[in-house]
Amino acid sequence: MPDKEVHQSGDIVRLIDIRKTYITGDLQVPVLKGIHATVKRGEFVGFIGTSGSGKSTLLNILGMLDVPTAGQYFLEETEVSQLTDVEQATIRNRKIGFIFQSFNLFPHLSVEENIEVPMIYGRIAGRIRRKRALDLAQRVGLGHRLGHRPTQLSGGECQRIAIARALSNNPAFILADEPTGNLDEKTSDEIMKLFHELNREQGVTIVMVTHNPALGPHYDKIIRLRDGRIDETLLEWEVKKQEHAVFKEIEEQRDKAEVEINEVTQ
Amino acid sequence: MMLMRDLFGLSLHNLLLHKVRSILTSLGVIFGVGSVIAMLAISEGAKRSALAQIEAMGIDKIILFSKRPPVDGKSESSDNAGVMERYGLSAKDVSNIMKMDNIERITTVFDARKKVLKGLQRTDLKLIGCDYQFLQDSSAKIEKGRWFSPADYQNNALVCVIGKNVKRRLFAIGDTDVVGGSIRIEDMVFRIVGIVDNVYGTQYPEIGGQNDMIFIPITTARALYKDYTFVREGYAYKITRIEYDLFLVKIADTSYIDNTSKRIARYLEKAHTDTKDWGMVVPLELLRQRERTQNIFTIVMGSIAGISLVVGGIGIMNIMLASVFERRKEIGTRRALGAQKADILLQFLIETVFLTSLGGIIGITLGVGIGSAITYYSKMPTIYSAWSIILSLAISSITGVIFGTYPAYKAAQQNPITVLRAE
Ligand SMILES: Nc1ncnc2c1ncn2[C@@H]1O[C@H](COP(=O)(O)OP(=O)(O)OP(=O)(O)O)[C@@H](O)[C@H]1O
Ligand SMILES: [Mg+2]
Repeated sequence: MPDKEVHQSGDIVRLIDIRKTYITGDLQVPVLKGIHATVKRGEFVGFIGTSGSGKSTLLNILGMLDVPTAGQYFLEETEVSQLTDVEQATIRNRKIGFIFQSFNLFPHLSVEENIEVPMIYGRIAGRIRRKRALDLAQRVGLGHRLGHRPTQLSGGECQRIAIARALSNNPAFILADEPTGNLDEKTSDEIMKLFHELNREQGVTIVMVTHNPALGPHYDKIIRLRDGRIDETLLEWEVKKQEHAVFKEIEEQRDKAEVEINEVTQ
Repeated sequence: MMLMRDLFGLSLHNLLLHKVRSILTSLGVIFGVGSVIAMLAISEGAKRSALAQIEAMGIDKIILFSKRPPVDGKSESSDNAGVMERYGLSAKDVSNIMKMDNIERITTVFDARKKVLKGLQRTDLKLIGCDYQFLQDSSAKIEKGRWFSPADYQNNALVCVIGKNVKRRLFAIGDTDVVGGSIRIEDMVFRIVGIVDNVYGTQYPEIGGQNDMIFIPITTARALYKDYTFVREGYAYKITRIEYDLFLVKIADTSYIDNTSKRIARYLEKAHTDTKDWGMVVPLELLRQRERTQNIFTIVMGSIAGISLVVGGIGIMNIMLASVFERRKEIGTRRALGAQKADILLQFLIETVFLTSLGGIIGITLGVGIGSAITYYSKMPTIYSAWSIILSLAISSITGVIFGTYPAYKAAQQNPITVLRAE
């Protein structure tokens, strides 16, 4: 059984030649052009790349919110394209924790209720839910804010709640799409530190799309996308060695793109 | 799928978030249900009081009455003006009808056609001779005093029992010794032994309302007045002879009342060959007719209710569709956190059903309010039947299911990525 090998190697996620082509009218837009990648248990993986390179698309496929046009996606030995809607929803609920750039908390629910939502869909009894919500809120440092509404919290606090929510069903891994994109530098550092702790101290597997060059040292592995393909995969020590050269390059590209956009608009 | 309790909690929570909007949304259902409840209550009230009146005549009875035959062109009465006119039910009819099957008894009533005066003013009160069983066979109750005794009948006693209105019309309000007092009619004085009250105000054909009658034993009436009446017509006196004015024919088994009434009618047609000087009322038959018209009315009402609920339902569907669009980020997030399509579908469906049921409940309250106000101001009786309330609730919930399904389906079909990207 080939899957056995996968399991023993500790791969949670294995992507084989994932492709995604959007069709708008007569136009075919290939966004992902054959992605091969793995995520190991306990790993902290970062996706970087220029805007439009397909990072979010890939992350959505990992989260089973989107289906690839071609290729295979193994999540803990299971080929997810074989699963029914209900099974996919169950896996999203039990095995994946989503974190969004704009937090996506439910504004009308309290902090506690927000953290409980995935557990509600997991049919966990109310008493256990509340206890776990409290534990998680304490773990992200907001145990005293359970009764508040997200609108009463700062951006950093909101993202902490979102992290607590993502952890509520003890997922196999966390998917985060630019979780610090809406936060200032100091708060971003704190959030990244929280991710770092969760990863190092509690062994939570994290897959994160990021732009921020200062966050380099947290990752075990950085995968750079370029034009729908994996441009290069850098391991931790390489990231350090290059002293964030990778990120600098992206920054420069982005600045250039902005300049171009400005020129066009002017 | 999530637990039902959590699902209900979630839907309720969402409704309570936008209280004003929820109420505005269900306005169509509120007014639909409200008007239905109010109209049903009014029609039910009207029906009950009409039915009660019919029933008060007795559904186990056939009522026969004498009526003046229609005067046709070559009628002899115009030729023989001033001569005795004779028509109506007779003692022979009593004995012949009594011989038929399924007849338990016949209570006879005779109108003495005497002028009852108050001071010098003529009233439309009637002096009526009746059988002993009359009290039992009418729906009147003794309010004060007593009914006649068998001895009153044997002795042709000069006693009378008066209807409730008679007391009101002839005596002062505070007058406490009405019973025991007396009434003079023409040249006879009758001692009042009792007062009867018919709460339904039963009207008998030709002779009128029971509460307007002064009753005397029929034996007394015969002894005093025989069965002749002198009626002054212009300068001539006319003699009218009517033996009986009313028969209350009590039927033994009401399931054969149709046959019995037909047989009596056939007999009377044969016995009263020349003229149609009698009439027949079968309260049970009236009751059935009345119920039939009532059913038609209910169907019409139901259709109106149906239309208003459809309109209300479409309004709710519209708002729910808008709400799905407005909340697509919420939907996408829920899906990402593990909600199944069925969870989303049920969440929106239950929300709509709550909305229409809430509309139903408010509508029922409104309807009861309107009905009570109408009763208060116009004295029209209103009756709220349990089934009309249960039916309204059920129908408003079903409206929610019907018009909530499409928006809920739409919500469940939202593609999570597109809804998450749309910000
Ligand atoms: N539904 C769609 N239809 C057509 N094209 C799409 C659709 N969704 C995304 N794309 C295109 O796919 C490409 C990749 O999008 P994606 O959001 O994955 O980029 P990204 O790497 O996350 O960029 P950013 O860093 O700006 O978030 C973009 O060019 C985008 O226009
Ligand atoms: Mg993106």
